[in-house]
Amino acid sequence: MHGCLTSCGVLPGALNLPMPPLAATEVGSYAPVLLLIIMAITFAVANVVLSRIFGPRREGNIKATTYESGMDPVGTARKRFNVRFYLIAMIFLVFDIEIIFLYPWAATFPNIDHSTDQAMIWLARIFFFMLTTVIAYIYGYRKGVFKFD
Amino acid sequence: MIEKLQTLWPEITLFIAACAVMIVGLSGTRSIRALCTPICGLALLIATFLSLGGLGGVDITVTGPLPVLASYGKAMVGVIGVILLLLIPGVVDREFDAAPGGPGEAPQPPRAFEAIRSNTAEFHAFFLFSLMGLMLCAGADDLIWLFLALELTSLPTYVMVTISTARNRSLEAGVKYFFLGALGAAIFLYGFALIYGGTGSTNLEAVHASIVAQADAGGINSITMAGFVMAIIGLCFKIAAVPMHFYTPDVYQGAAAPVAAFLAFVPKSAGFFAIMLLTATLGWSFGASGTELPGPVHSALYIIAVLTMTVGNVLAILQNSIKRILAYSSIAHSGYMLVGIIAGPGGGGGADSTLSRNGLSAVWFYLVCYGVMNVGAFAVVASLERRRADGTHDEIDSVADLRGLCASRPLLGWTMVISAAGLLGLPPLLGFFGKLPLFTSGVGAGHYLLVIILGINSAIAAYYYLRLAAAPLLESRDPAESVGGEIVESPYRLRTAAGLISAVGVVALALGLGGPLGSAATSVGQSGFAPSYVGRRAADRSPAVIPAAAHTVDDEPRDVEPAADGSVDGATIESDGGPPDARFDHAR
Amino acid sequence: MNLALLIAIPLVFAFAVALSRPAQARLLATIGTLLPVALYIVQALGFPWLRGETDFYNTDAIDLFPSLGVRLSLNADTVSMLLIGLTVLLGPICVIGSYTAVQDRLKTYYGWLLVLQAAMTGVFAARDAVLFFVFFEFTLVPMYILISLYGSTNRKAAATKFFLYTFTGSVIMLAGLAYIAWVSATRTGEWSFDLTTLTVASSEYLSNREQAWVFGALMLGFAVKVPLFPLHTWLPLAHTEAPTAGSVILAGVLLKLGTYGMYKFVLPMCPEAALAYAPLVAVVSIIGILYAGLICWVQTDVKKLVAYSSVSHLGFCVLGLFSMTSIGLTGSLLYMINHGLSTGALFLLIGMMYERYHTRSMKELGGLAARMPVWATFMVFFVMSSVGLPGLNGFVSELYCLLGTFQAGDEWAHHPTRAGLGGPLGPWFAAVAAVGMIVGAMYLLYMVGKVVWGPLVEPHGHGAHAHGHRHSAGAPASAPSDAHAHLPADLTPREIGILLPLAALCIFLGVYPRPVLKALEGPTQQMVESLHMHTRGSLQTPWPVGAPPPPRPAHTAPAATDPHDVPANQHPADEPPAAPASGGAGAGSAQEAGH
Repeated sequence: MHGCLTSCGVLPGALNLPMPPLAATEVGSYAPVLLLIIMAITFAVANVVLSRIFGPRREGNIKATTYESGMDPVGTARKRFNVRFYLIAMIFLVFDIEIIFLYPWAATFPNIDHSTDQAMIWLARIFFFMLTTVIAYIYGYRKGVFKFD
Repeated sequence: MIEKLQTLWPEITLFIAACAVMIVGLSGTRSIRALCTPICGLALLIATFLSLGGLGGVDITVTGPLPVLASYGKAMVGVIGVILLLLIPGVVDREFDAAPGGPGEAPQPPRAFEAIRSNTAEFHAFFLFSLMGLMLCAGADDLIWLFLALELTSLPTYVMVTISTARNRSLEAGVKYFFLGALGAAIFLYGFALIYGGTGSTNLEAVHASIVAQADAGGINSITMAGFVMAIIGLCFKIAAVPMHFYTPDVYQGAAAPVAAFLAFVPKSAGFFAIMLLTATLGWSFGASGTELPGPVHSALYIIAVLTMTVGNVLAILQNSIKRILAYSSIAHSGYMLVGIIAGPGGGGGADSTLSRNGLSAVWFYLVCYGVMNVGAFAVVASLERRRADGTHDEIDSVADLRGLCASRPLLGWTMVISAAGLLGLPPLLGFFGKLPLFTSGVGAGHYLLVIILGINSAIAAYYYLRLAAAPLLESRDPAESVGGEIVESPYRLRTAAGLISAVGVVALALGLGGPLGSAATSVGQSGFAPSYVGRRAADRSPAVIPAAAHTVDDEPRDVEPAADGSVDGATIESDGGPPDARFDHAR
Repeated sequence: MNLALLIAIPLVFAFAVALSRPAQARLLATIGTLLPVALYIVQALGFPWLRGETDFYNTDAIDLFPSLGVRLSLNADTVSMLLIGLTVLLGPICVIGSYTAVQDRLKTYYGWLLVLQAAMTGVFAARDAVLFFVFFEFTLVPMYILISLYGSTNRKAAATKFFLYTFTGSVIMLAGLAYIAWVSATRTGEWSFDLTTLTVASSEYLSNREQAWVFGALMLGFAVKVPLFPLHTWLPLAHTEAPTAGSVILAGVLLKLGTYGMYKFVLPMCPEAALAYAPLVAVVSIIGILYAGLICWVQTDVKKLVAYSSVSHLGFCVLGLFSMTSIGLTGSLLYMINHGLSTGALFLLIGMMYERYHTRSMKELGGLAARMPVWATFMVFFVMSSVGLPGLNGFVSELYCLLGTFQAGDEWAHHPTRAGLGGPLGPWFAAVAAVGMIVGAMYLLYMVGKVVWGPLVEPHGHGAHAHGHRHSAGAPASAPSDAHAHLPADLTPREIGILLPLAALCIFLGVYPRPVLKALEGPTQQMVESLHMHTRGSLQTPWPVGAPPPPRPAHTAPAATDPHDVPANQHPADEPPAAPASGGAGAGSAQEAGH
């Protein structure tokens, strides 16, 4: 399949790059996954513990409620949200998607033969992609979505 | 892959321009904001130039279902895009522009610019994105690509409809359009999925190879067939054809006239590009005569074409709103163009390879003609506004508002007359020369009943087009009628220019300048697949595919010439049963 | 080139009128129509009238739309030259005749009149089917505008009906032409709409069944225009509502587009089908002749009466065409000219009467000879010409049409390729149609008796006093409501001037029609020969007419006089032996030969 996605350089399959065999049986090949899990748990625990140690404590009714993006969690759901939330959600989406695309690219790039033009093209592609993100950022900035007043 | 990227330069140009206008359009300075339109125009012109292969000319070595469509299809989008662009200023953000006011009228002071309330940047960017999607449609060679391109064409239009006026009817139109559009997209996406399921590939060339193999092995499997039928029915939404046409009048009426003009051309062209690609993938080598699409697809298209023409024209007669008339006429024109799709590209070679016989060429040609004429009609609507007593503006709507236009505003009036006469297909205007190849290709393919229905429908259409032409030319405006407010010309004179350009085009392209366009059209229809196996005898096909239910008149096959004169039919029948084209082996 | 000039001059002047001031429109239009008359006379003097059918001018065709095979080719043979002459002649007459009748929107009026003139000339000169169609359709636009702007009360509906009827018919005709072009393209390998190519392709390559369908499609287009009986309903309406010049052109030229199309397209392109269906067409024509004649009889509106009389008269014209004999064709072609002259003049006269009395009702008018002796003279003269009084033009053509119809059987029976087959029509058709002549005399003379002779009846307000007042006081003093108050009771020199050429031609064609008949001899004989050559009688008339045809004789190779120089016997050669004639076979189950 030579689809749009492949030709835009998003899916790595089109190049037939030497990929590690997926059916590898050694436990060692799962080590990175384990590392990731450990890192995630450590990060979460550390945050909780550190804030427990260093954070200021001011107890109160409001402080005790569930945190719901600044909204009162109890009461009617038919409330008007500030439109800024949507804007922030959109901006978040832009950067989130960017990350999603960057990971596979980064994972594939080292496998490319760096002596050929292919490497430059792959690099150019991701720069083009980054450029669009930058433009989205500039657009958001000029539109005033980062201003809160 | 690099080669593929090189065919995408027009789209990349538009993309860069879209990024640029997104930023430029948010400037606080009015003169910088005004740069959006020239940037778009420049980008479209460059894209046109690039799509014609730059200085190197059109590259016709590219493979695919319709290789040349990628070039000329994009060029057509670029050129008509420029005319459409001239209508765009003033659609959004009028309050931030210095409304120049009519002659003898104080300019209205603009409001202070607020980025968050401004839509100029988005509107122009969406305009370009949609055209970019249309260009991508023209060059698609994969179902996924095609789907994404179709969606890229459609998604911006939903927003454009919604923000085109500050009135509730735009919101209503936008919501209707969005939901029905999503329904249409879901249907054709499901169809694409079935095609993938039935053939094992999303690449059109591979799909085609698989279909040829299936047909040779005893019949196209029913999943594939169902997929194509569903895809075409879903695409009917894009082209505003009958089972999916309900939104058209409401959306056209709800949207501002420039956006309605855009809707009448861009999604329709995208839908037709997609249908052309899909049908070219199937090939016209089935049916009793061996020159038809496979039975179910043929029947579906036949029924859709007849219903679309008839429903569009008959309902248009009942309308009073110009935009609703044009909307129903847009439905009817889709029906006309489907005749070309049904007729197919002919066998290739000799008399078969010209615009006159090649239905796909005829469809492309008609799209160009329709685009030019239609923009003219909508431009007139966009150029006239009714100024209410409270100072607000709204577009004119009723046909009665056009009365006496040729006397009061000759340019606009004549533009309307010429556009309406052109859409009617009155010789010697462009619409006639657009319809002629549809006629000849339909006749050449043996669909006489369909051609007669097409003819009768053109005559029905005369009734309402005559109203559109007669109101400005023959009727005079009663001053007492201006109850809703005085009718003034829009301060955005580019709209008048757009109308003028298309009116001149309608005349000039018909009288002498249409030659290059005709040759371009001829090459557009040359399928990368079809000629190699058109004309196989139907006996080889499975029973499931042979019966062509809607094929009524021509129960007598055309007398086949002895192959002595090298006629196509004879030659291909001889090659029947031989090994498939080497290219397909390769593709498989 | 010269033909192009005949089309271009009115067009150029139309643009000039559009750009000029209204006051100059009249003058420009007059020049723009008189110039072609002069040009035409020059050309006619150099035209080889006796050379026969062949197109005369050697114009290089210009490719208009190469990829569609559409070419800009103009040419003229004897027949088109005659009809162009009629068109060119009626042009200035219409313009000058409208001097007083049309008072407002002069630019629009004269501009479109000139465009109409150009389009009509183009129809007769076009030698490319699409170009023909373009001109054919484009005559609708000016006419539509003239009727809907300058007509009387019900003009919008009349104009729309006129447009829709003709448009529908002609679009289906286009489908027929497209089919022929496609057949031609498959044989020659390239698309062309050239008339000669199409004629060859259609008459040589089409199977009987295909010819029958193409015949139907083409006939539909032309029959609406003529108009033949069931399709005629637009005509009386359009005539009644149209301004005088519109009626003159409509009756004089536009209706002839239909019969010209039958002559130029239907007969040569579908000879077999024409032969088979000629009785059907003849029956329809005869119904039209009698039915329209009877309707005329009960009319009270003079203009409507003349309009219906057109339906009746053109029935004779079509009858003559479908007799497919040299005499019938000659009569029919002559009839086109004659009907244009006399009916055109009648409409002019009615227009002049209407300008003075603002009514056309026979109930309100009577004995006008007392008031307008000159007008009455012309009226009686042209009515006589229309009725077919021997010595005037109508007689010659009507006689020829009926004679041709009468002789059709004989003439065809004596032709070598069709010995014993019988012709399309015969004495019975002629006999019944001849009744139409009597009916025609009845209603026209009745109208003349009522309006011209008898006791003087004038509408209220147009009595002797009013006239005297007008004569003495002139325009300013008369009633302001009367826009044409300056017109005297009887005809002005201008009006007499436009009627005189028509009257002169009527007398000339009545007393000494020989030159025209001689000129038409060649083309019609060639046409008949070509018809004989391309008909094998294998397509049966749907019902028994005359003697049942005997088994087909052995096909003899025709002489090499085929104008298209295509071996006509190539087609029958590869055809199976003729099936035995099946009497009464319907159109759908018509015997197929060869295909």
